[in-house]
Amino acid sequence: MNANRSNLAPRVAILAVSCLVGLCPTTASAQDSMQAPNEKSAGVHDSAGVEINAGTIGRLIKAAKPGDIVHVPAGVYREHIRIDKPLSLIAEGRVVIDGMSSGDIVEIAAPNVTLRGFVVRDTGIDLDKENAAIRVLADHTVIENNTLEDILFGIDLKQAPDAVVRGNFIGGKDLDIARRGDGLRLWRSDRVLIENNTIHDGRDAILWYSQNVTVRNNTSRRCRYGFHLMYSDDVVMENNELTHNSVGIYLMYSKVVTIRGNRLLANRGPSGYGIGLKEADQFSISDNLIAGNRAGIYLDGSPFTKLKPGDISRNTIACNDVGLTFLPSVKGNVIAANNFVDNIEQVCVSGRGELTGNDFAADERGNFWTDYAGYDANADGIGDFAHESVTLFENLLDREPKLRILLFSPAQQAIEFVGRAIPAIRPEPKFFDPSPLTRPVPVATNAGAAPSRLSLAICGLGLASIASLVYVSSRAFAHTTRRKGVVA
Amino acid sequence: MSAAAIPSCQIIEAHAPTLISNILTLAWRELRDALRARSFLLYSLAFLALGLGVSYVSAAGTGSLGLSGFGRTTAGLINIVLLVVPLMALTTGASAIASDRERGMLLFLLAQPVSRLEVVLGKFLGLSGALIACITLGLGACSLVLAWQGGATEPRTMLWLAGLSVLLALSMLSVGMLISALARKASVAVGTGVFLWLALVFVTDLGLMAGTLALRLPVKTLFLLTLSNPLQAFKMWALHSIDASIDVLGPAGLYAMDTYHDALPWMFGASMAAWIVLPLVAAALIFRTRSPV
Repeated sequence: MNANRSNLAPRVAILAVSCLVGLCPTTASAQDSMQAPNEKSAGVHDSAGVEINAGTIGRLIKAAKPGDIVHVPAGVYREHIRIDKPLSLIAEGRVVIDGMSSGDIVEIAAPNVTLRGFVVRDTGIDLDKENAAIRVLADHTVIENNTLEDILFGIDLKQAPDAVVRGNFIGGKDLDIARRGDGLRLWRSDRVLIENNTIHDGRDAILWYSQNVTVRNNTSRRCRYGFHLMYSDDVVMENNELTHNSVGIYLMYSKVVTIRGNRLLANRGPSGYGIGLKEADQFSISDNLIAGNRAGIYLDGSPFTKLKPGDISRNTIACNDVGLTFLPSVKGNVIAANNFVDNIEQVCVSGRGELTGNDFAADERGNFWTDYAGYDANADGIGDFAHESVTLFENLLDREPKLRILLFSPAQQAIEFVGRAIPAIRPEPKFFDPSPLTRPVPVATNAGAAPSRLSLAICGLGLASIASLVYVSSRAFAHTTRRKGVVA
Repeated sequence: MSAAAIPSCQIIEAHAPTLISNILTLAWRELRDALRARSFLLYSLAFLALGLGVSYVSAAGTGSLGLSGFGRTTAGLINIVLLVVPLMALTTGASAIASDRERGMLLFLLAQPVSRLEVVLGKFLGLSGALIACITLGLGACSLVLAWQGGATEPRTMLWLAGLSVLLALSMLSVGMLISALARKASVAVGTGVFLWLALVFVTDLGLMAGTLALRLPVKTLFLLTLSNPLQAFKMWALHSIDASIDVLGPAGLYAMDTYHDALPWMFGASMAAWIVLPLVAAALIFRTRSPV
């Protein structure tokens, strides 16, 4: 899953395409649908050699004074623009800025710029030059309600603190994952608010060295990493819905991160995680729904220090191939009041080992496990026996993941039975929940609409009617043969 | 249905045998006998009870939390099918010819104007009908329970599961009939059937596990060996039908997805088809040369 390394062939192809595009900038601007006369004198070109601010919107920007509100009338504008003074650029109706498959499209180089309501489409595909639909190089920008289509990079904030990225719809190009760009990228941009955006078919939405960022109510699907934090501290991520990505949220080398109330569903593939943590510290993961992923939460070297225990609480971790995956050295997490529901393997210690350095209960309340086999005689909601995970087959799986191909087969139960029956080969418990809950922690899950009950009932009746048809016809035959006196 | 049955009886009486009608007549007889047999009733009840149990428990678990569409219920049902259906089909098939031979029924049957091929095909067809009835009854009841409990499963998935279970039953029936054609006594045939069931359900998988751990089998070998077991082919196909992927089966599943892409269902189908056709052909060939007593 090393998507950063594209091999040589596509690179050459991209280079060739960008050269071709670069060769014909004048043709491109001549196609301006607004039929504006070209200003031959304009000397600013972008990295792909395309003339900037040569079209209608460009002239509007040139004509505007700092602080103006510029309204752009509806239409398709084939041009590349650079906003170099504080302006509000507002689309009136459907305003399309078409990049004609070359370079970046909108560059914001001055502080206090607002860009609202545009459709920005068709950037170049040069990964080396990071062709972006909207590149922001200054602070206090508001990028709101734009639709980005067919783009390599979507919104790229470079040292652009105090920005607001809100309500944008970002759709990547239909490229192989290794050739895609990031739907959203922050580079050294602190105090940014990212909310209500939808990102699909991109590479990552990534925060590099950006502190105090808030990410909420965003949707990401079919990307590589839904949200990826690199060295970004004091980040709050809440109520995002991240589905069908390779990884929902990946925290790397980041600290003081709160991940709350997100829905992380069906993030799969070879390294599919709902939430991945690599050397993250002082994190809190709570009230999330983490379901149908290859691994619900993956922990590698997290928490990184002993400053604060890793807090994993009130999550519903359900129907994942593996609920929690730990690398053997992970310690210092408190995992309490979560629901572990029907994960094929609830907790995995990758490459075997024990999780003695992690607590599976806080304040004498543990987690709810669907595979808990004990009972609760005094009905206080806490099981009378500790929950230990002692399963021989899972231990084999942890040692040799290839054996997963035999999952769901009766041989698996046979192995488990033998493991329970014969103490000599019973494995050491992987972890220990001293006070398992006997009822699930109430959470608002609602993992999408359930399939229709009626159609399932009809399907059941249909199947059963096949059975009755077979039975009735055999009776009818018996009757006929008796009447005819045939013994056969 | 009775209308279809009447002419075929008449043809037997009139001593004007044709292949299809003879097969149908024999099939009806076989079907009637199978549905009357006590063992078959027990299998049906066991399948029904286990299936309903799994449906009820899983609907109470994931269903109560509003989680659906992750195929966990189906996985539980796959497990039950893997356990019950092969046993049912193998023992049914194993007693098909051998018990008739033991009772002298075969002698009587072959005295009628029917060919031996017709006997084999008729028995296969009739017993298939009985197995289909058992499977559709069980899975139909499971669907109803799931619908009543909140509908945590797609109807499409249940239909796939039913269809694939029938294929699995046919393959095991075919193997059972091969045993039956070979064996002289019914008890030996059924015993061999049970032994083969143990082998296919447990022993080969345990062998694969040991092989993987001890010999470090590469994923390709592991996948192909697994595919050659009709039970595993059924399981993988059923999982594939849920969400067009078998990546839930770990590295070997991912390898298969990456290597074979869209060809995968065809591979599963080919494996199962081979297990249906080849043993049945062998059974027919062997039965042709065997004495009826």
